[in-house]
Amino acid sequence: MNTTLTLIKRPEWEYIEEVRNECNLFFKSHNFSENDSHSLMMTISELMENSIKYGTFSNPDAMVEILVKILRFQVQIEILNPVADSDKHYLHKLDRTIQWIRGFQDPFEAFIERLRLVSKKPLDDIESGLGLVRIAYEGKAVLDFFVDEKNVLNVSAIVDISNS
Amino acid sequence: MQKENLQIDAILVLGDKHIAVELRYNSKFSMLVRFTEEFDYTTGFEFDKLILEVDEEKIDLGRCRLFLEPNIDGYTGHITFVNDVYDFENLFFNQKIVKLQSIFSNLPLILSHKKDIKQAFKDYTSELNYDLNVYKNLFDKLDKEYANEPKSVKDSVQKAIIATEGKKFMAFLDKKLDELNALVVGYNKQEHENHGYYFRKQLWNIILCSKMMKRTNLKPRGYAGDSEMMRLIYLNDAQGKSTFSKLMHLHPVGLPGAEAVRNRRKLIVNKINTLEKDDLKEGKTKILSVACGPAFELQDIVRSPKDFEKLHFTLLDQDRAALYEAATVINQLEKSFKAELKVNYLTESVRTMLTTRELNKKWGQFDFIYSLGLFDYLTPPVAKAVLKKLYQILKPGGEIIIGNFHVSNPSRVFMEYWLDWVLYYRSESDFLELLDPEWKIEKSVYFEDTKVQMFLQIKKL
Repeated sequence: MNTTLTLIKRPEWEYIEEVRNECNLFFKSHNFSENDSHSLMMTISELMENSIKYGTFSNPDAMVEILVKILRFQVQIEILNPVADSDKHYLHKLDRTIQWIRGFQDPFEAFIERLRLVSKKPLDDIESGLGLVRIAYEGKAVLDFFVDEKNVLNVSAIVDISNS
Repeated sequence: MQKENLQIDAILVLGDKHIAVELRYNSKFSMLVRFTEEFDYTTGFEFDKLILEVDEEKIDLGRCRLFLEPNIDGYTGHITFVNDVYDFENLFFNQKIVKLQSIFSNLPLILSHKKDIKQAFKDYTSELNYDLNVYKNLFDKLDKEYANEPKSVKDSVQKAIIATEGKKFMAFLDKKLDELNALVVGYNKQEHENHGYYFRKQLWNIILCSKMMKRTNLKPRGYAGDSEMMRLIYLNDAQGKSTFSKLMHLHPVGLPGAEAVRNRRKLIVNKINTLEKDDLKEGKTKILSVACGPAFELQDIVRSPKDFEKLHFTLLDQDRAALYEAATVINQLEKSFKAELKVNYLTESVRTMLTTRELNKKWGQFDFIYSLGLFDYLTPPVAKAVLKKLYQILKPGGEIIIGNFHVSNPSRVFMEYWLDWVLYYRSESDFLELLDPEWKIEKSVYFEDTKVQMFLQIKKL
């Protein structure tokens, strides 16, 4: 059975549901419990939302790529999208936020800390970090990212399934 | 922008009346206020609410009180809030409204976080907390006994206590750590996280006694393993004022995880010294340290005038403070030897440095690349991408050494529960999987003496 799922989608909101459905079928085919599938799909949709919001899709052929690999003890999720040279500020913010979240043994601490920010002024997701914190806390995923020399941002979430 | 120059327009509301004011940052908990029109309010006067106007949005901060303090740079006085305490530093500089009491609104969530804690773990933590407090009181009492002695006497008495009762206390800590390891051995990731959080909440006051534990938990530079932490581990001595603090610092810096950090430094020093002996090589040996931290190892590497001639370092780190410390180390070396060491400093996160096209043209190619405290934080997709980039800038015949804590690290539970220090652990096969099968290389994986720190060494053919 294929343990890798690759999806390439246009950066449009309506495709998030489609991706969720395709991932759901993929996880079902690998006998994941409903809870585990739900949690993995939450992670994928949060990351895809960020990708659509913050990616640079000026080239009409630019897409969002979703890679899901099921390994023996972990699921690796990678979401790829192009970014612009001018996005350095956003990338540094993403770097700080991810390192900050990963600095806690229990992502619950990051979650509580973020809830303290009662902001009546809407903050973007990266700034509030709440979407990423949800992935770490509810999705139980270890987040990371890099940008390659073609300016493709790869955000990954590693989910431990050794006890599933 | 200077803090004192930041100004926000606002409206004070009193019944139907709207009074325009200008606000300026004064301190974390106070804002200066200036009325744009004449007024006759007295100190202590309460307004129904204050509405901020930030980026065309109106933010209601609630009921507030005026305190007149004339002649503060033309401002009338300051404003405080009746029902809330706001963090004005966050408001003015981060455009975030942070209510200091908002932490209490999450109280039920925090309190309920203990519901899944196993009873055996609660018992263990409670007993440990009791025992540690008993020890703390006893050591503190002893400290008071000789507090008025001259410094030399105090130091000598404290050393004697550390060598005798302190040693027994350290044995007690070892025993309790063994018990903790045994207790959590079957826990899954989430259980470790929940129980670690509970553990630190219970032992917070004890944790704050130890210089090392305090730093890893509070993470003043945003991450646990910063350059100051490396310095403390290398020093491996008794830090802190009280005997108890010293012992609570000595214990973690003596554990295998810390020993492994000291060993990896020696390993790199030996490796570079071997490279240097290759006198036939023309020009300088180019060395890249990735996530170099304070680069203390240079003190052991650069030890003769010949080293200044032969070695060219490039030091890369995301942390400016760490690079500054590295520069200080190098300045001291240059002063001692009255010679100039060729060093390039690069402030860059490895996660974003990969965007640099043709990195080898920009940075050149290297004879030796090492990275000791980085891959423990990189997940496989990122670790693979970073290693690929390092391989591209390695000269043929050049070598890379990457360090990573091994999955079997006996200090892992201690690091996670006590220090809140989480690493990405790898096995030998996890390490080898980072390599591209297409590369023409010689590869090996080996360990330092404690077997905690694993090294991946590759030679480009």
